[in-house]
Amino acid sequence: MSHGPIVQTPTPEGFRPHVVAHHFHDANQEFHSVKLGFWLFLATEVMLFGGVFAAYFIFHGQYPETFVKGGEQLSVPMGSLNTVILLTSSWTMAMGVRACQLSQKKQMLGFLWVTLLCAGGFLVVKYFEYTAKIEHGLLPGSFWHPHGHYAEEFANVEWPNLFFSFYWTMTGIHGVHVILGMLAISWLIWQGGKGRFHSGFSAPVDLIGLYWHIVDLIWIFLFPLLYLVP
Amino acid sequence: MSDAHAHAEHGEVQIDKSLHAHVCSAGTFLKVYVALLILTVLTVGVAQFHFGSANLLIAMAIASVKAGCVMAIFMHLRWDTAINNIAFLGSLLFLGLLFLFTMADFATRGSIDPTMSQHAEPPAQTD
Amino acid sequence: MTTNVPVADVAVETSNEPTNYLNCKRGFWSWAATLDHKRIGIMYLVGVTLAFLVGGIFALGIRIQLWSPEGVMFKATSEDGLAGYNQMFTLHGAFMVFMFIIPAIPGALANFALPLMLGAKDVALPRLNLASFYLWLTGTLLACYSIITGAVDTGWTFYTPYSIQTQQSVISMGLAIFILGFSSIFTGMNFIVTCHKLRARGQTWFRMPLFCWAVYSTAILQVLATPVLGITVLLLAFEHMYHIGIFDPAYGGDPVLFQHFFWFYSHPAVYIMILPGMGVISEVVSVHSRKPLFGYRLMAFSAISIGVISFIVWGHHMFTSGQSAFVMMAFSFLTFLVAIPTAIKEFSWVATIWKGSIALTAPMLYAMAFLIIFSIGGLTGIFLGALSTDIHLHDTYFVVAHFHAVMMGSTAVAFFAGVHHWWPQIWGKMYNETLAKISAVLILTGFMVTFLPQFMMGSQGMPRRYATYLPEWEGYHKVSTVGAFILGTGFALMMGYLIHSIFAGKKAKQNYWGGATLDWKTQTPPIHENFDFDPVIESDNIYDYSFLTEEKKA
Ligand SMILES: [Cu+2]
Repeated sequence: MSHGPIVQTPTPEGFRPHVVAHHFHDANQEFHSVKLGFWLFLATEVMLFGGVFAAYFIFHGQYPETFVKGGEQLSVPMGSLNTVILLTSSWTMAMGVRACQLSQKKQMLGFLWVTLLCAGGFLVVKYFEYTAKIEHGLLPGSFWHPHGHYAEEFANVEWPNLFFSFYWTMTGIHGVHVILGMLAISWLIWQGGKGRFHSGFSAPVDLIGLYWHIVDLIWIFLFPLLYLVP
Repeated sequence: MSDAHAHAEHGEVQIDKSLHAHVCSAGTFLKVYVALLILTVLTVGVAQFHFGSANLLIAMAIASVKAGCVMAIFMHLRWDTAINNIAFLGSLLFLGLLFLFTMADFATRGSIDPTMSQHAEPPAQTD
Repeated sequence: MTTNVPVADVAVETSNEPTNYLNCKRGFWSWAATLDHKRIGIMYLVGVTLAFLVGGIFALGIRIQLWSPEGVMFKATSEDGLAGYNQMFTLHGAFMVFMFIIPAIPGALANFALPLMLGAKDVALPRLNLASFYLWLTGTLLACYSIITGAVDTGWTFYTPYSIQTQQSVISMGLAIFILGFSSIFTGMNFIVTCHKLRARGQTWFRMPLFCWAVYSTAILQVLATPVLGITVLLLAFEHMYHIGIFDPAYGGDPVLFQHFFWFYSHPAVYIMILPGMGVISEVVSVHSRKPLFGYRLMAFSAISIGVISFIVWGHHMFTSGQSAFVMMAFSFLTFLVAIPTAIKEFSWVATIWKGSIALTAPMLYAMAFLIIFSIGGLTGIFLGALSTDIHLHDTYFVVAHFHAVMMGSTAVAFFAGVHHWWPQIWGKMYNETLAKISAVLILTGFMVTFLPQFMMGSQGMPRRYATYLPEWEGYHKVSTVGAFILGTGFALMMGYLIHSIFAGKKAKQNYWGGATLDWKTQTPPIHENFDFDPVIESDNIYDYSFLTEEKKA
């Protein structure tokens, strides 16, 4: 370890300086350490969701009709709309990170706000979907009690509750990630407004951006598997 | 600064490299965004036709291409360090092991009867 | 931000003792909010010791119950029946596995020693390190809460469907394990990044002490395997609350899938426990034999390959669960692969000791106990990895004795070897070495007396997790119980002289054991910033003890 002074990165005009933590040589080493750590965290997210995906594929293989029937109850327009919303938010997030790297504070805040609004929009759409499912009794496991023609629809398939167990579990865990992402983005907007993030210190924006892309990534797989059950 | 240069030969730490290896152009991001939208339309469209089990493969293939775009461009993996690529993409490899063995179990259950030996069938009656 | 203040400014000079990380700042918050890896390591040390105490008390409870065939504490004829026994062995397993062994060596010892060995001022992500400790604390408190609200009685494996039908406390215990899992993940992430980014000048990968390799390999397992346990216990909690049915055959699910998910984590978890133990033994054996490690590169590669292979053998826990025979054959075959790197390690340690200048110190005694018990644990694993013999031995005391040889007799013993090895460096104080040797011998003896009879009765068919048993096994059980109390005495003695030494031990001299790696090159105990010089590694021979002879001459 160097015992000379830590090499600090210059701060652009109008921003707050960032102080490199005491155990690093310079901002570069700090940035790459934190980033590797975050990629490892994202790897744990992959493994975490991967478990549910593995279970999905196994039961899809065992009861294909159940899954096709279940998927038909979901609204493709709503699901597609949410896919577009999330893709848009992912794009604006990428643009926000770019603006941060270029020390463009206003643009960055703008893109982050759009991302946050998209995330909110996603949850609003999800809210309408969830309430409809609750109304029809299309609930997971022991709460499964389909009303009216839904009961007939599922009269002849094995374990109709299973598909909706997966639907609720997967979208539920994903939804929690969306909410956590919104909190994180709000924090970015708050701190970014104070001028904390710039070309010399963009790690928080960069990393929360990566997190947000993972949320999008998981939805990219959830959408065809749940709404367009093959 | 001279102190910092002394460390330049050491491992992955390169002092003189700028903090960010790559700032992607806004045009590239826009192109990827449009491609993702097109692929979304495609996946919804393809799902209207029934190709049997191929549907699952097609849907997963399109999703993988979309995921690849997001990872490579939006997440900057294309320009990121090797170790960051390994850290993230390595997880897919280990996830593959989870998929492989659990599915192999479900796919081959009953294919071999563990209790069956050469004596499993009653010995042929000789008179 | 307080840690950015130069140490000298806030140092409280109470005596003429040189400033170190222990005396540079005082008060509750200087510990509770510390970002110093050494202090966090000590907090972990205290924490896991308490968890070990709780788990140990449950263990003694189990052995007391089994003193007589009809049971001592819980009897089938009594009002509450035998249910309490199920809770006792579950809590013994859960506390020992999730709260003691898994965090013990990474959390306490690696936290202290790894940054020192790399010549770093701290782990790469100190805040995450502190978060990891507090997650451990939260998880442990939640687990204690679940005990109060009706302890879990499923066994530490939480097999479905029983775990879905039993008490609600499965939910809080499940969430506790989810949280403990993330504590473990954060520790692992930290060490991976630290090994990659904070190595000393000139320290290439093959100039890292083997303890770092072992911890690095462990960290990969922690990061990649633990999330699957997380999602599994989460789904189990959902099963309990909503009967989502993924693992519940009553709702169309498959309990064997739970076992797949559980063991996808819990087999690698065995290596999360044993690999850092192997790392400790590598260091101890080298320092106390005054010889460079035999086959350094092979040792490094075997640490990594053990980690990777451990991901593809989990089905050997499920040979009687109804998984497909085809997969069982694959898992059985792959299981035997683990023997190769493991044997490389065992032989390398022995070859390191061979013709060394051996000092029979307390750490070395523990290391030797490790070598003996680990051989027993490893070799008995062969019978359990083989399909046909496992059908007979599955769920018997043979399995119990086997995994205690690996977890308790190897990992815990390695942990204690490490604690004794780094103790002078951690505290700057030295324990009573005579008592330490006595307790090491007591623990080795206690282990043998406890578990050899269990191998015997297991091979005769004594099933595990039974509160009562047939009279024919009474002799074995009685001997085993006596052994457990010998173990308990050894641990009590150890606890006594270690705690005593913190307050009244004699001052440890600089580089107490004469180690060659960077963790010994710093002040004893280290300063807050670890090094007051710029550590550089110039040679491939990192275990070079020639400096000791030169010092003597001078
Ligand atoms: Cu195993």
